[in-house]
Amino acid sequence: MKNEKVEKKYIPEIPAKEIDELKSTIQASSEKIMAENIERMKKTDPKRPQAMKYFDEISNLFGQRQRELAAEKEKGKKIIGYMCLFAPTELILAADAIPVRVNSGWYDTSKIGDRVVPVEVCPVIRSTIGAKMIGLSPFLEQSDALISVLTCDGMTKLGEILSDYKTIWEMNIPRVKDAPHSLRFWDDEIINMKKQIEQFTGNKITRKSLKAAIEQSQKATRVFRRLQDLRKGNPIIMGRDAMLVNQAYLWDDKERWTEKASALCDELEKRAERKDWVCPPDTPRVLVTGTPMFWPDSWKVPNLVEEADPKGIIVADELCSGERILNDPVGVDEWTMDDMLNAIGERYLMASTCPCFTSSDGNEDRINWLLNKVKESNVQGVIYYVTRGCMLYAMEYTRVKKALDKINIPMYYLDTEYTREDVGQMKTRVEAFLEMLTARADM
Amino acid sequence: MAWEYIGDILRLTVLGGLGAAGILTVLLWKKNLATKITFLRLVVQAVAFTALFYVFSLKLPLLYFFIFIFAITLFLGRFYCGWLCPFGFVMDIEVMLRKALGIRYRILPERFNGILHKLRYVIVAVFLALPIALWFLQPPQNLNFADAMAKLLAGPFRPYTALIDPLIPVVVPWTSNAVNVAHINFTYPYVQDIIFWAGQNIGEAIALVFIGLTLASSFVFRRFWCRFCPTGVSLAVVNRFKGFKWAPLLHIEKDEEKCTKCGVCKRVCPAQVTEVYEQKGGKINTSMCMLCLRCAEMCPYAETLKVNIGNKTVFKSRNWLEPPKVE
Repeated sequence: MKNEKVEKKYIPEIPAKEIDELKSTIQASSEKIMAENIERMKKTDPKRPQAMKYFDEISNLFGQRQRELAAEKEKGKKIIGYMCLFAPTELILAADAIPVRVNSGWYDTSKIGDRVVPVEVCPVIRSTIGAKMIGLSPFLEQSDALISVLTCDGMTKLGEILSDYKTIWEMNIPRVKDAPHSLRFWDDEIINMKKQIEQFTGNKITRKSLKAAIEQSQKATRVFRRLQDLRKGNPIIMGRDAMLVNQAYLWDDKERWTEKASALCDELEKRAERKDWVCPPDTPRVLVTGTPMFWPDSWKVPNLVEEADPKGIIVADELCSGERILNDPVGVDEWTMDDMLNAIGERYLMASTCPCFTSSDGNEDRINWLLNKVKESNVQGVIYYVTRGCMLYAMEYTRVKKALDKINIPMYYLDTEYTREDVGQMKTRVEAFLEMLTARADM
Repeated sequence: MAWEYIGDILRLTVLGGLGAAGILTVLLWKKNLATKITFLRLVVQAVAFTALFYVFSLKLPLLYFFIFIFAITLFLGRFYCGWLCPFGFVMDIEVMLRKALGIRYRILPERFNGILHKLRYVIVAVFLALPIALWFLQPPQNLNFADAMAKLLAGPFRPYTALIDPLIPVVVPWTSNAVNVAHINFTYPYVQDIIFWAGQNIGEAIALVFIGLTLASSFVFRRFWCRFCPTGVSLAVVNRFKGFKWAPLLHIEKDEEKCTKCGVCKRVCPAQVTEVYEQKGGKINTSMCMLCLRCAEMCPYAETLKVNIGNKTVFKSRNWLEPPKVE
């Protein structure tokens, strides 16, 4: 823990009274929004799977999971937060610490973040800063250290700004990932991170514990893939429900998540046998890609798509808050320490489709992923969601558009802000797009 | 004599190997492990090893093996190297031993690996040119074709049959190729030649160093020998030319869109083949690949890597997190 008296490089002084006020109002409104979101999800799908009940509970950021983490902390376990998916969670698990992702999805805190960084900055970053300033996010508050991976510009500086409060470990990620020396460099970063985690937690990462951690995350990946495979067929689960399940992995206990998600898959499989579809199979199938959508406030677009008239269903996504979380398993050849570390390095760096990468072919991986997803999930339209200030996703739009044009899949660029004011306007836009998809399907 | 006992022990080891091959085969049928390529390969290798042991006991001319390897390589690429070669089997057993000890392999620098691969062609060229050189050094007395051929192929110089020496890294007590090192009938690739050319005393010493080096290096580097093995010069080279596009029939095919370039295929390859990873898609075209199919087995994305014979897919990568479905 950093000494609070150290002079803050970025964060302005805010009176404690104001902080308390802001925190209590935003927390109260946030709890309301989470409940409302779940209510809306229930309304869209009246016979929601039984197993979703658990995820509804765990998705309350101020509820059960917060208390559990506090209890674990009491027992002496360390909690290590991370901002990007590139943080090697297997290493954290192997050191008997708890990984949680701490990016914020609160709209209101982005306005507090404005006091530190200008409004042009990506709202995810501003919101996370704002959440930290008023101490809103329970996971961010509870984490003992943060892993900041220098991916996009926002993330790079976010780590620096948060170092006013927390111990930050920076991981330098190479931007051109297909060069052999990039991988060597990243492997060194992974080894370094292992040392740092070991030192910090006081637990040695052994061959056995790392193997157990990798196997645990492989199990989670297996269930995760099962769920995504179920979404490929006729609509069996609403996109929002699946997205919530996916995202819950970021803060939930990994073993318990695996168990509960597996139960959900079992239930869905039974429904698929009965041909008990969640909405008519001719509902327009939509894929969302772009800026990550974080629970609870950033649920705007999924809500709009699945509550629109005509209704759409999100069958796949290419979001780092969604299907990218667990899509790739750690493929270990020989279970030696070095090989496991290299396998972890490769899994995080090479398989990722984050737009912060480029190569001789540009970020071709992402295009291939999208084309493959569109074909596999039988997607009829793509929504390209970008928040203002999210440069990398915005700049890749043209290339993705061209690639999708080639296979005759319409794509819609939906730009927005961390605000609720444009919901009405966006509703019209989304509905027009869905109407177009329905018309295309009828043709 | 103690040496004779050791010889007996070695022979018993081989017999034990045969027994193990049988057990592995039974396991294969019982436990439905056929979907696990690594296991299947082990069984095929053990069976091939046994078969070879038997065939050697028939004292067939080595030329038949030469023709067999040539034919199988023309049609199946280096399938022979990955699945049948007994020397490869020995190296794979070394790998198992290394894994059991928890030691990790080392990786050869990519450039050096490339040089080794080119060295193969030089070695083969030297072997093929040897008879011509010998012809001039010791001109045959009479120009009887059969005599000349016998001298070139089966004589003490045996330039052509030396090409398939990696067939004999086993204790074959009754073959004429056996070398008696320390009273054990011992066969190891090229040992016979080393002793022939360098003389009995120095030859034995060099041979021991050679055996030690090759065994140690293939313990440290996976399939070290295969990277410059003259026997494994693949006819995949041939299919670079028009008119030979059909050969070899067995090949790996990659689906570009499904690949996320996670790099698993590159890391697990025992011969450090990079083409599977680097090539964008389509038929993988390299003579370095031994078709051990480890990449297709380890690829975590379903149907990204396919193993085709002609146009028929015999194996494809699958989501190995799920247990194989029993059909």
